[in-house]
Amino acid sequence: MYNINFTKYKYFTLSFSFLAIVFGFAVTFSKYGGFAHSLDFNGGLRTVVELPKDKTRTDLESYFQSKKIEAVVILLEKEKNIFQLDVGLGSLPTIEALYKEIPEDKRESSTSAIDRFVQLLRFEFNLPKEKVLSADQVGAVVGGELTEVGITLLLTTLGIILLYLSIRSQFKFALASAIALVHDILMTLALIGFLQIKPSVPIIAALLTLLGYSINDKIVVFDRIRENAHGKDNLALSNIINVSIAQTLGRTINTSFTTMISVVAIIVGGAAELYDFAFVLLFGVIVGTYSSIYIAAPISEIYDRLRKKRFA
Amino acid sequence: MQSYRLLLLPFFILAVSFTILYPNFADRTLKLVVREDVYSLSEAEQKTLVSSLFDRWEKDYGKSSGWTIEPKGTLPPKENPFFTVNGRFITSAKINQISQENQTLVNEAKNKLEPTWIENMIRGGKSLSIKLGLDLQGGMRVVLKGDFEDYTSKLRDLYAKEITELNLTLNNPVAKPEEKEKAKNRLTEIEASFDLSPMRKIVELEKAKMIIDNRLTTQNLTEPQVRIQKEQDAIEVSLPGVSNSAAILEILQNTETVEYRLEEPNPFLFKNQIAENERRMMDLGQREKTDIYLFQELVKNKAGKKAQDEFLAGLEKKYNIPKEYKVYAMWARGNSAKSTLLPRSFVVLERKIALSGNDMTNAQPSYNSNSYGWMVSFTLTPNGAEKFFDLTSENRGRNLAIVWGDKVISNPVINDPIAGGRAEISGSFSEQEAIRLANVISEGALPIPLSVLEMRFIGPTLGIESIEVGVKAVAIGFFLVMVYMIFYYRLGGFIADLSLLVNIIILAALLTLMDFTLTLPGIAGIILTAGMAVDANVIIYERIREEIEEGRALSVAVTRGFENAFWTIMDANVTTLIAGILMIRLGNGPIKGFAITLCWGIVTTLFTSLFLSRLFMELSVNRMGIHHLNLRPFFFGKKEVKNV
Repeated sequence: MYNINFTKYKYFTLSFSFLAIVFGFAVTFSKYGGFAHSLDFNGGLRTVVELPKDKTRTDLESYFQSKKIEAVVILLEKEKNIFQLDVGLGSLPTIEALYKEIPEDKRESSTSAIDRFVQLLRFEFNLPKEKVLSADQVGAVVGGELTEVGITLLLTTLGIILLYLSIRSQFKFALASAIALVHDILMTLALIGFLQIKPSVPIIAALLTLLGYSINDKIVVFDRIRENAHGKDNLALSNIINVSIAQTLGRTINTSFTTMISVVAIIVGGAAELYDFAFVLLFGVIVGTYSSIYIAAPISEIYDRLRKKRFA
Repeated sequence: MQSYRLLLLPFFILAVSFTILYPNFADRTLKLVVREDVYSLSEAEQKTLVSSLFDRWEKDYGKSSGWTIEPKGTLPPKENPFFTVNGRFITSAKINQISQENQTLVNEAKNKLEPTWIENMIRGGKSLSIKLGLDLQGGMRVVLKGDFEDYTSKLRDLYAKEITELNLTLNNPVAKPEEKEKAKNRLTEIEASFDLSPMRKIVELEKAKMIIDNRLTTQNLTEPQVRIQKEQDAIEVSLPGVSNSAAILEILQNTETVEYRLEEPNPFLFKNQIAENERRMMDLGQREKTDIYLFQELVKNKAGKKAQDEFLAGLEKKYNIPKEYKVYAMWARGNSAKSTLLPRSFVVLERKIALSGNDMTNAQPSYNSNSYGWMVSFTLTPNGAEKFFDLTSENRGRNLAIVWGDKVISNPVINDPIAGGRAEISGSFSEQEAIRLANVISEGALPIPLSVLEMRFIGPTLGIESIEVGVKAVAIGFFLVMVYMIFYYRLGGFIADLSLLVNIIILAALLTLMDFTLTLPGIAGIILTAGMAVDANVIIYERIREEIEEGRALSVAVTRGFENAFWTIMDANVTTLIAGILMIRLGNGPIKGFAITLCWGIVTTLFTSLFLSRLFMELSVNRMGIHHLNLRPFFFGKKEVKNV
């Protein structure tokens, strides 16, 4: 068993987390003006095209990158080289400007954004009309109600944890778990904003998974702390916490390691469309594990000390 | 907990699970139905169609799958117009692909995947294979165009009476000028509401989108994606693979409404006039010429709604029915409860809708033991309850007809004003009909009729390559986790792996039984479940190891280890379970998909880690004579425990 003083760094880790979250959100809203846009949330243009055999995903992606068009490229059919291109509404002015650059004789006049985008693609990749299989301006799948649902969900989940853990153990542990959980979600959101990861259904799934993982991790650690602290109410918590974390450390490392194996395999394997999902999940697992040890435990200790001072 | 007999339980559960999962691995038969019009094509054209199918067959469908197809290389005879495909893993995505690529040859709506014996036994032939979502295997994308003309004509019905009254006021020489002014303003207001601005259309489309979403989600746990296409006044619906789309399209386009309309006042001038005429025909022995007989024929021959509407409009002309009334057919069963629902007589109702389906919610079908039939009870919205009370108090003695779609299903007399906001509809319904009627009331009807603009099958929205990589990654991940567990906990690791496998198998069987559609969020839920299951085992072994290191006897250490870990595992799982249940109740789409797998995963995890692992462990320690249980990995040295 290791004898490490985990709580020694509590002020450093607490401030570090706080600053990281603030920094992440500051960058998100000042530099980018909010989270990235995505078709699932904001709607946009969706086209399905059949490309000549010599063109690949890389060609499409590098073209969009060079022209600063925000597009998500999805391979629908390998055999026929059919791609789905999702373009966010934010790129409409860019598309309009590019459309105007097409020589007059090579384009048909069109008024709608989707038509212009199709013309642009046809001009750029030399596509005959029938190779554009579909083109639509589509609305959002997950609308604004999702944010509302998400916040309601998070608050009710926190309420449940506070209640259940207060009954099963002590309020200080319940409170620390809830705060650490909020920390995990905010941290991950800050990352999503900072890296301008496009919010999508898989990202929601990743956030939910992180939530579940994090709850599980905190309860396991606190169960051990509670057990070790049993009947030692007059002792300082910090020592008990250090021993408990040391005792559960083997389990913590094992579990997070085994959980990460599949996720890392997805990242290494090069699943382009799943990269964001796996990345957020990986980050979430690391943050969830970190916050049990360096956020939740110290908070319970600080709370404990404050309370003892009041009643001393 | 130390008897071999207990092993029967997990074996039994596993056997049941494998039976449920059997259709996924079984040899299956698919009937690809050839379109009727193919047989009337020239021989050369037929040849082209058939050869294009078989060229692809050689290259793609049949190449690696080992499927067989009969008849090979030729068109099947006209009497049995279908190709029979035999093989394993005939997924709906594949079926969709074949149908899509041979649209002119295969009649997609009639394809049939023959049920296996287990499906016939416990499902009455309904499919029992794991369904994959849009993101994992693709599916069908339907674009439905809103028909706003029909929508305005319905609106006109709603306001018909008011417009007539207002016009009377306007043309009334004795009406006061301010009254005329008011009437005029109201008329312009009503006329304005018939004018559909783009904004209005979007609002209606939004409504329709919500209803379609609800319909599809309640039908089965599928995760549809419904979007609005502003440019075309259309709604785009994407659904996971279906082996035939006919049933889905019916659900999508069903615009059946339920509404109340007052019948013409007693003494039923028009109704009697029609009935009189019909009777005269009957007396002359010309039953085949009566209108009701003709109308029944229309229904039996499935002539379609349009033909029926035209027929009824013809009747209105024939009997000079005034504009504020409409002719409907009264539908009922014959003498037995088993006979079909058919139009039996004509009634004349007010064109004005007295109470529309929007005023009703929360319908429940229930069995009425007094009348040996099904009925539907529902709640009225506060606004609806008020309307209903006014309606029933002002129109005592008149008949109030309930119109479902275009059928009048009952027309009870209003005896007393009805307050309280609850009402019921009793007709001679079958169970199926009662459920359908309840659904129509609960979910609301589509505000606009929808017609299919285009229908295509699409590939998985996550991208083919990503899915291949993802499946490989998860499989490799599982394998590595298992190897790691054995390396780290030796025998304990092996037992943990065993219970993890059992866990996933039971979970898969449960989800299949529930008709669950697996999507990426669902898989995320399973990954979390697996992580928590491994975690539970790790916690247990760490505890057992501590007990051993404190010098306890092996069997005692195992028992105590499980007991110490029990509440930790319970706490962690119960908390997550509560969060999961909240997600199911509050969330939709992706959140729900994730939560369902998570919740059931927790149930199976608790069973496998607290019961199965323990059973295996105690059996191996107490019965199989294992005296030395080493739960330490190969290179970690022993460290001193500092007791608190």
